[in-house]
Amino acid sequence: MTTFKIHPAIGIARLGNSDQFYLAPEQPGALPVECDEQGRETVDDQGRPVRVSSFKEDGDLSKVKRQAARFRVFAYEGANDRDGREIKIGDSFTFTLESNVTGRQRVPGTVTDILWQVHLANKKASWYEFQETDGRHGYSAMHPLRNPTVTQPDQRRQLIIDPGPQSVSLARPQAQFAQGANPGYPQTFPPADIAPNPVTTLGALKVNKQDDYQRLIVLGGHGHSGATGVPVISDFANNDGWFDDISDGPVTARIVYEYEFKFTDANGKPQTQIKTANMTVQVPAWVVVGYPRFVPELPDMVTLDEALYDINVRRFAYQPALFGVPPYTSTGNRPQSEEQWRIWRNDARYNADYYPKYYAEIWPILKRPDTYKYVFDFDLFEGSDPHNTGTGGNLDQKALSQPPMKGEDPNYQHRQFINKILRAPGQENLYRSGAISERDPNYRPRLMPMLSGNNPISNTAPEKFFRLTDTQLFLLKQWADGKFVNECEEWDQDDADCKNPWAEPPTSGEGIDRGVLANLLGGAFCPGGELGWIIINPAIYSAPWRIHHAIYQAGALSLPKPIADIDGSPAANLDAGLEPGDLTKYIGIPWQADFHECTTQNINITFEDWNNIELDSTGDPAPQTVAYDIPWWPAHRPMVVQLADPAGAQVYWSSGLSDNNAGDLQMVSEWNNLGFIKYQTVGSGDDASSGYFQTERNDKALGAPIPPGQRQLGQSNRRKKHV
Amino acid sequence: MAASKKPASRFDRVRQILNDAQGDHVPDYQGYRAFWQDIETFKSARLYGQWMIAPANHGDGNAKLESSDEQVGGSCCGGQADGKNADDKNPNAMAGSSAGLGQGPAVDAVDIEPTLPASQPDCWPTGDDGHSGHRSGDTSRSDRSGIIIGLRGQSPFDGTIFPRLLWSAAREVTESEITFIAQWIDAGCPADDEPDKDSTDGPRGNAPAGNALIAGQVRAGQDDIRALACGDMAHQVSGRCTNDEMDQRGGLHVRKEVSSLNAEELGRLREALACMYQYNGYWLDERSFDFWARIHTNSCQHGWEQFLPWHRLYLYFFEQTLQDYDPLITLPYWSWTDYADVNRDTYQTEQPDLGVIPEAYRCWLTEAAVAQLQDTGLYSKKQLTGLRKIARSGEKFNSGLRLLKAAGVPYTLAKDPQTGQAIWSDATRAVYNQCRRLNPLWFPNRWPGSLGAPTHYPKPANVDQLLAIPNWHDFGGGPSEDHHFGALEQMHNGMHNFAGGVNPFFNDAKKLGIASPDPQNFENPAFGWMTDNRVTAYDPIFWAHHSNVDRIWARWQELHPGQQPGDLDGSQPPWSLTVGDALSTRKLGYEYMRDSYHYPTTQGVGISRFKGAGAGVKRQVLDTHRRAEVRLHRVRRANIPNCHIRVFLNSPEADASTPVQENPHFVGEVSTFHGSCYGGPRHCALPLPRSRDNDLRPLHHHEPRNFRLDASDCVRALCAQGADDLSVHLVVLGLDGKPVDDALFIDGVSLNFMD
Repeated sequence: MTTFKIHPAIGIARLGNSDQFYLAPEQPGALPVECDEQGRETVDDQGRPVRVSSFKEDGDLSKVKRQAARFRVFAYEGANDRDGREIKIGDSFTFTLESNVTGRQRVPGTVTDILWQVHLANKKASWYEFQETDGRHGYSAMHPLRNPTVTQPDQRRQLIIDPGPQSVSLARPQAQFAQGANPGYPQTFPPADIAPNPVTTLGALKVNKQDDYQRLIVLGGHGHSGATGVPVISDFANNDGWFDDISDGPVTARIVYEYEFKFTDANGKPQTQIKTANMTVQVPAWVVVGYPRFVPELPDMVTLDEALYDINVRRFAYQPALFGVPPYTSTGNRPQSEEQWRIWRNDARYNADYYPKYYAEIWPILKRPDTYKYVFDFDLFEGSDPHNTGTGGNLDQKALSQPPMKGEDPNYQHRQFINKILRAPGQENLYRSGAISERDPNYRPRLMPMLSGNNPISNTAPEKFFRLTDTQLFLLKQWADGKFVNECEEWDQDDADCKNPWAEPPTSGEGIDRGVLANLLGGAFCPGGELGWIIINPAIYSAPWRIHHAIYQAGALSLPKPIADIDGSPAANLDAGLEPGDLTKYIGIPWQADFHECTTQNINITFEDWNNIELDSTGDPAPQTVAYDIPWWPAHRPMVVQLADPAGAQVYWSSGLSDNNAGDLQMVSEWNNLGFIKYQTVGSGDDASSGYFQTERNDKALGAPIPPGQRQLGQSNRRKKHV
Repeated sequence: MAASKKPASRFDRVRQILNDAQGDHVPDYQGYRAFWQDIETFKSARLYGQWMIAPANHGDGNAKLESSDEQVGGSCCGGQADGKNADDKNPNAMAGSSAGLGQGPAVDAVDIEPTLPASQPDCWPTGDDGHSGHRSGDTSRSDRSGIIIGLRGQSPFDGTIFPRLLWSAAREVTESEITFIAQWIDAGCPADDEPDKDSTDGPRGNAPAGNALIAGQVRAGQDDIRALACGDMAHQVSGRCTNDEMDQRGGLHVRKEVSSLNAEELGRLREALACMYQYNGYWLDERSFDFWARIHTNSCQHGWEQFLPWHRLYLYFFEQTLQDYDPLITLPYWSWTDYADVNRDTYQTEQPDLGVIPEAYRCWLTEAAVAQLQDTGLYSKKQLTGLRKIARSGEKFNSGLRLLKAAGVPYTLAKDPQTGQAIWSDATRAVYNQCRRLNPLWFPNRWPGSLGAPTHYPKPANVDQLLAIPNWHDFGGGPSEDHHFGALEQMHNGMHNFAGGVNPFFNDAKKLGIASPDPQNFENPAFGWMTDNRVTAYDPIFWAHHSNVDRIWARWQELHPGQQPGDLDGSQPPWSLTVGDALSTRKLGYEYMRDSYHYPTTQGVGISRFKGAGAGVKRQVLDTHRRAEVRLHRVRRANIPNCHIRVFLNSPEADASTPVQENPHFVGEVSTFHGSCYGGPRHCALPLPRSRDNDLRPLHHHEPRNFRLDASDCVRALCAQGADDLSVHLVVLGLDGKPVDDALFIDGVSLNFMD
């Protein structure tokens, strides 16, 4: 029995104000891929994808190209086929033929086309307010709504941007999620007069045929955000009256095939007739539209791939050798029924004999902090390099890669030191580690990663600082204890790619799923990058990587329960699955506001459990205020970047945009003028210098960038999101 | 034979396998590099946390022998006789202590309350884990060892955490090589021991030549398979146990003449008995050997028509118990007449203890055993020299007494202060304990020879006379209302007495001041226990003796169909089966053969010409067999063209043009008669093996069938021409007489010899 699946499981398109586009990268930290106007990947003479060289239109630094999400259908033969293979036009399979006349049959057929359907929507304005971690475990009836004055259900449904579903196939290769482009569907769009930019489309679909592979291209919006009345921004995540053209939604497909229909005609003569039918791809996908990735080559401290891997490992028996029920074999870890799953989730644990592979599972975590020096200045005054990966550095690649040999383990203390300063579960509100040295009990280094957490803002369930996932911490603990393999030295000495398992584009279905997600932010979620904390809620998944699709009615997408209950219309319900717009509705509106503010957060650590201390209240002892500026996600929202000319010169990335609410509003119309950060080698010979340098900034619109320290025009990087 | 070159040890072979598979490039292996080179490194290395050789557990099959990491008994596939080292806790020991007070359970007779052994036996396989013998799979030391887990590609070496071992290897280690390494580990990882001499390829006598061949085929690819199928390459005879071969092809189990058992088959039998002896302290435990011996004491039938059927069932149920331990075991038979010539010369009353019995039941010593004897301090220098000499000679003695005499150690007795009866002296007992440990088939109260006129020892002609008896009464005995001995039982009686014999030193007890020595004494009785139907079944040779009785009956049944006991409904306590149930050995799952040689083939590849390599038929088999038979096993029949199959012996060039008339090499021709398929897709595919106990349907239409051809005349003719080995050859012809390659699909060819 062949199972068909769409890959990637979650695709990522990105906004752009240009009509030109490129394809989403399918490897962590890889540049996007060039394509033609139908979305056919450009390949070099060795068959490798050609990477983009320019993120903006030729000659117009104000036009940011869009990133398209590409989807393909894979076939899996049998239960043990983990990789699958992409199907081609002309391939033969045995299909399930649904027929009103004969009941379900199995017929051999030949693929002639794929009929794709996508439904994008934006539900942000219709949803609840973002209140940090409040709501993560369910919204109380008192939880405030965005646009709270709109309580009449039909009016509130008008806050949803719903262009309706669109279908494409080779026979109809284009479609638009535009106003007026879906006859017969009750579309809802924002008022035409929102400013500064009206939203009239959420994007477009294309199909293309490349080497007989038929693929879907999904394009998102143009980065248009606007508000009714006079546009002002007063909050990082909730701004009433605003709309943007971010969106998400289900991607489904039907395989169109030809088969031989045999019958006996009225004269009793056997006849054969070629007929066409189609079969639903059993495992569908989802597409998310996010804002541009300005630093595409630097993965975040925790990528969404890593965050979901952690969920899949601990909740979905994804890798029993790592986390499962002893003896950790795959056959012993295949729960089927609900009851078996409950037992599995109670009994499963990390395998203390799991030996991570250094270059596949350890080094990607350790090497990242050092690269953030291209997007943040860790030590503005002294210029020290705490994450140095060279010989003698804290993160010395060579020393840390050596497992114990024949019982000798000279790097044990070094690894233990790194492991001890990692922020563990339960230490989300701690700034420093406990004593880690017997010689000096006062030596309490800062816990890592030193990044802002899911809630450094309100006093409800604070999580001031970010930490690695449970699975990452387990792998690092194994590593620190000497339980790891240097796979390059032990197994793959001759393989040049061995130090980067992602050197080549993935060919397996799950490889594509993971490679795509590796370019999305995996935390902290406050509310988040492309997506918020909803994405790491196991309840939204039907299988590892796969969003659970809901069944919904045209023109009746769900509303928050207090409103839906007024007219008995469908209320949002995670148990029933997700509808179009249900992933992105949790993040800020418009996206530009939070994006602009996610530089650093001034986090008060005076009291562990409290973010906000009421200095003015009477009767309380005067608190001592201890606060530090902690960055959010340097690779996702760069702060201090380096110029290519003069190479390495530091400037504020968002120079020209003020660091206040007015700057947030500036971001709404100026995001397209900002520069991208790209790996470059400048100069030549002895003067050659390589690094991740800024490119394609539109100085004409924003003025020349400003070096750190020159704090005119409000360029303080001390900023705090407020409640 | 040049004795200068030390034979390669099993560890050498293990190293050789791993070196060869690894090839030139040796990865780090976490700094250990080729960790198997040095025995201590191999045993202590933990490769990324995985013990390459697991530490020995108490529950290991051989862990009881492992204090010195030396091997004594056997391993999971083939116990061996020549263990080098002895061990204090000898499960086969004749008696518990040298203090002379204990009565060893193995020779405890009826009515004596046994003393429970000090250490609890734990060798019998059971359904639950953790408390089982070596066959329970997941508890053996090798199964816990990373090298075996890794070579097999099992978790965590299944790619989830580590790749399969060996890493970056030149080739994969084959299944038979892995088995060899596993057996070496289960034997306690001896650094220095000898593989069986008759084993040429790997795992001692177990070397599954068939497996090796198949593994070889995989390596060599399709070419070899094709070459085998068209007769360009010779099929080899399997080295596996006969019953294993039979199981592979759905055949009956075979009871073979004891001299035809290979080292592995003999080892399995000995190991099973050694285990059963350990339970002798538990009177009601059916895993105890003595439990079975006592059944004869209490229930045996003699002197009337139930003698043959009762003993057939007695052997059947005992054999079933052995097969619980190891399903490949069947009871061997002792063909008395093979020893007629030598015994007619020595079988005399004047001088007892001169008879000759099959080698498997004799006793011997090893140098390691002598070293242990030396440690007891019971022997003089001269005696030790004598003991060492017989150990070095490798000679096997027909009785313990003869071994003592040859070593110059006097057979001495002591008086048991409790019973007032004679017991063995410490010096005698210690030697007997070693004999029993080395060979669980040996028995101390056995002095073969003597008792009666030498002419009573049966010759082949005497057996032929028996077989010629035309009616059941004369052959098998009378019914209860008119009972009398049958002729076969009478011959059997004589052989009981021959096997037990007379104890020449019975009256030595009087020298100890025992006025009237007990003739039924446990130690130093008047006669061997085989002579006494009260205790006869305690002697392991009893079972081979009765197997032969049963075989002669089975052969007689073939010659005289319809001749059977009068009362087929007679019950036969303690068995649940009636006389009628005992009539067919086939229904009880076995047949008798002198020896059997199997050529495995690749099912699914059509054979046009089959060439067999020399089968290595033993000289004695060629000389003594009565009938030779070529069998074609599991010939596929559904939707396959009909053909003629010509069978030749010693005719490697045989083809379609080879004459069949006046050709002494031609055995015969069979024709197939198949049908074409009338069902849906895969209707003609091989049916699934039967697995349900309650499946009462007849043989499946498409179940592959077997052919048998009598090759006796052909073998006789070739032997007369001087042939000293035989090989089987097939030529497959279509109905048009031309060679075909899509008509014969078989699981194997065998050459079988019956007495």
